[in-house]
Amino acid sequence: MQPAQVAGKMSPSYKMVRKYFIASIFEFVLLTFMMFINADSIKGFHFQSKLLGLTHIATLGWITMIIFGAMFQLVPVVLQVKLFSEKLAEAQFWIFLFGLTGMVLFFFKFDTFFLAIFASLVSLAMLIFIFNITMSIIKVKEWNITGTYIAAALVYLFFTVVAGIMMAINLYHPYFKTNHLEYLKLHAHLAFIGWVSMVIMGVSYKLIPMFSLSHGFSLKPAKWTFGFINAGLILMTVEYHLPERTIMLPIATLLIAVGNIIFLYQVYLIMKSRVRKILDVGLTYTMVSFGMMFIATALGVFLVFENFLKPEYLSKLVLVYGYLILFGYFSLIIVGQMYKIVPFLVWFHKFSAKVGLEPVPMLKDMFNENYAKVEFVVMNLALTGTVAAIAFENRVAMYISTGLMFLSSLIFMKNMFSIFLTKGIKNAD
Amino acid sequence: MLTEENVMNTLRSVIDPEIGLNIVDLGLVYDIIIEEAMITVTMTLTTPGCPMHSSITGWVENQVKSLEPGYEVFVNLVWEPAWTPEKMSDEAKQSLGQ
Repeated sequence: MQPAQVAGKMSPSYKMVRKYFIASIFEFVLLTFMMFINADSIKGFHFQSKLLGLTHIATLGWITMIIFGAMFQLVPVVLQVKLFSEKLAEAQFWIFLFGLTGMVLFFFKFDTFFLAIFASLVSLAMLIFIFNITMSIIKVKEWNITGTYIAAALVYLFFTVVAGIMMAINLYHPYFKTNHLEYLKLHAHLAFIGWVSMVIMGVSYKLIPMFSLSHGFSLKPAKWTFGFINAGLILMTVEYHLPERTIMLPIATLLIAVGNIIFLYQVYLIMKSRVRKILDVGLTYTMVSFGMMFIATALGVFLVFENFLKPEYLSKLVLVYGYLILFGYFSLIIVGQMYKIVPFLVWFHKFSAKVGLEPVPMLKDMFNENYAKVEFVVMNLALTGTVAAIAFENRVAMYISTGLMFLSSLIFMKNMFSIFLTKGIKNAD
Repeated sequence: MLTEENVMNTLRSVIDPEIGLNIVDLGLVYDIIIEEAMITVTMTLTTPGCPMHSSITGWVENQVKSLEPGYEVFVNLVWEPAWTPEKMSDEAKQSLGQ
């Protein structure tokens, strides 16, 4: 059996994956624009309609949408199975996009009836995704660590959806015996750590060595990370179903923090054994993203002791914590990995049949690397500025920083479209 | 007359689109055998499961075929011995920052 042929045959349709990526890129631009025009709302207590709306554009429109597309592309290639149904992936896209649009709109209006209706559509799309990927991966013959992380991420996505829809109903018709805001913490952490971070980690074990040409490293730490983070998440899930906070919460938080640190050690081992010593733009984003993950993890541990903090400090720290996870950790790595994955995807679709017959571009020639470097600087300035603006409640700094993030998203969109629209190169002769 | 050296030289036009280096300098080509009307290129790739598999082997096939019409080309993709960075040429190592 030639793996080459398998990889080719297993790949899903280019147009389907592209649709998810393009929608997600637009959502990122929409998100940063909405943050800019609502910069005055990025302060105070996190449970407010505009912040909830913005958070869901980020988590669903930008982050989850791009993960869906990436999973449809990577699961068949990494695990060597065919996607169970492309038709379901197609249907899921439209249900998700429609549901998400309504959900964000009614978060902003805070109409809890329609919010619950549209949240149900989003949940339906998520369930279709979970079903489709589960049906695909049950046929995997050679299991690997990436597959294990993806399988766990699917389970957490399911529980994120369950918690989310329960909260949407509870907002319209209160029935919770526990505190809604406490349950929100569980929903957010299942989404961030169980779903998004679990996917990022699992995929990193495959993609980072591939892009950095790393060889001969041990993957043992990845197994420890899996154990620690899952133990922490299970404990956290039990804890948030109890009427009051117990010692279980700091233990769960610590377990997850240790899991994250071991993950960073795993990345260090991979990078130490890399052949490509010079980091390209995609890997530079990725490494800074992991630095942000470290800071967010430290902050997460600190926030366990919320009872010792003054309420005004606590609300600022919670905003910084959420912002660092969504923009520092998740967005930086997504942007970085898109600079690696999208050129490959487009190149494979447009040029793989032409190799050896006519000149074809190199992947790095499909976008302007200098723009990507400028975007990197602008994005990091925006990140630092927004954190400072939250901390010091500075309105001008908030407008400048969110404006810079909007600018970075435009540069990203420009570069992504350059890649999607790449044409063949003319013969130099 | 077609020689192994001719084939090796033409394979310098096959470039890993991600790394930007040719497969000969990367040390991916293990052996070339020309027997009657059949050319067998034994090679590997930097990473098993690399999604560029089919593109690179297809490129090798097209490139060698264009060298001399009438020859059949067989690309024998192997994972043993596994590729190691030591197999790269000094120029390739240098361009990767080693």
